[in-house]
Amino acid sequence: MPNATSMSRPALSLDAYAVALALTLAFLVRLNLLPPVKW
Amino acid sequence: MATIVLTPARQENLVSRIAALVPGLLLLIAVGFAGKFIEQFIATYTKAHQITFPNIEYVLWAIVIGLVIANTVGIPRVFQAGVATYEFWLKAGIVLLGSRFLLGDVLHLGGISLMLVAIAITLSLTFMHILGRVFRLKPKLTSLLAVGSSICGVSAIIAAKPSIDADDEDASYAIAAILALGAISLFTFPLIGHSLHLGDKAYGLWAGLAVDNTAEATAAGALYSNAAGQVTVLAKTTRNALIGFIVLGYALYWSSRGQAHAVGNKAAFLWNKFPKFVLGFLLISLLATLGFFAKPQLASLANLSRWAFLLTFAGVGLRTNLRVLVKQGWRPFAVGAIGEVFIALLTLGLVYGADRYLHL
Repeated sequence: MPNATSMSRPALSLDAYAVALALTLAFLVRLNLLPPVKW
Repeated sequence: MATIVLTPARQENLVSRIAALVPGLLLLIAVGFAGKFIEQFIATYTKAHQITFPNIEYVLWAIVIGLVIANTVGIPRVFQAGVATYEFWLKAGIVLLGSRFLLGDVLHLGGISLMLVAIAITLSLTFMHILGRVFRLKPKLTSLLAVGSSICGVSAIIAAKPSIDADDEDASYAIAAILALGAISLFTFPLIGHSLHLGDKAYGLWAGLAVDNTAEATAAGALYSNAAGQVTVLAKTTRNALIGFIVLGYALYWSSRGQAHAVGNKAAFLWNKFPKFVLGFLLISLLATLGFFAKPQLASLANLSRWAFLLTFAGVGLRTNLRVLVKQGWRPFAVGAIGEVFIALLTLGLVYGADRYLHL
């Protein structure tokens, strides 16, 4: 059973970090702060 | 507003955790680049020497190199944490891929996927439970296998395990069976798709509906073609979005039988299980639809997504340990395998029908 500490401070999931990274990259691209990315 | 203060001890902890990821991350990059290099080398060499040779995608090379390393020299402990980040790159790649879809396409293809997913899930869950009884598997192991094969593989099993109070052994069996079947699907789906001359959209939809793990589904789609890979990700993302509802259904079923703890707030439960990267995918797709990005910027985002997937494909090979998969009992594997064949045939029929009547 989850204890009081883990209930009050849920850890950020992997998904949240992945979304944060992707959005950051998208905004950097939008603001032309990243050079064009080639494949 | 709360302020987060990093004490020197916590800073050191964070730095050491990030540093622990570096060796494995470098291995992912090396394997991914090796796959890309081999594809380009073969293409250049065969063109220069006018040799007819089928183009073997970097996806397959990266996975095979990873498989060879993992099953010969093995993955030393120092690399393991970094290799495990492949799922993180997968999710970041999926969010970035949202830029390739206008929201209208998402709603059209996603709507068709959702309808097909609902039919496929209902029938496959029923079939898996019948199989579980025939093979006399423990009911909770059957539940885990059913969730894993009808929704999204390992993530679904991990999400369902605590909700239905399944034991570790059942979860390990189910995960091993799903991983083994995912590895087989990865190589068989593109071959079947080509032999049936499926179009990119039809194949992409089929792979997204039938291959369990998101990483393997993404690879199976990309192995067929870039366009098929994008549709696979969309269909698979739709399937993943339903995970909370299915797990909630199982949690309520097992708690009603007194064999799992009661579910409190159902909305909170659903939100907790919902894969948040789906929201990121939709957000980027919405921004692309609203013209937030210029055309060259959209190309950059798509390429960033491909780089993220390159690390994912390397990780798929590196984390597949064939010896561990062989060690599992034959019955969970048999139930999973028969179930997978059923789901593959069922979804293939659904995709054919959708292609004909709903015009993919």
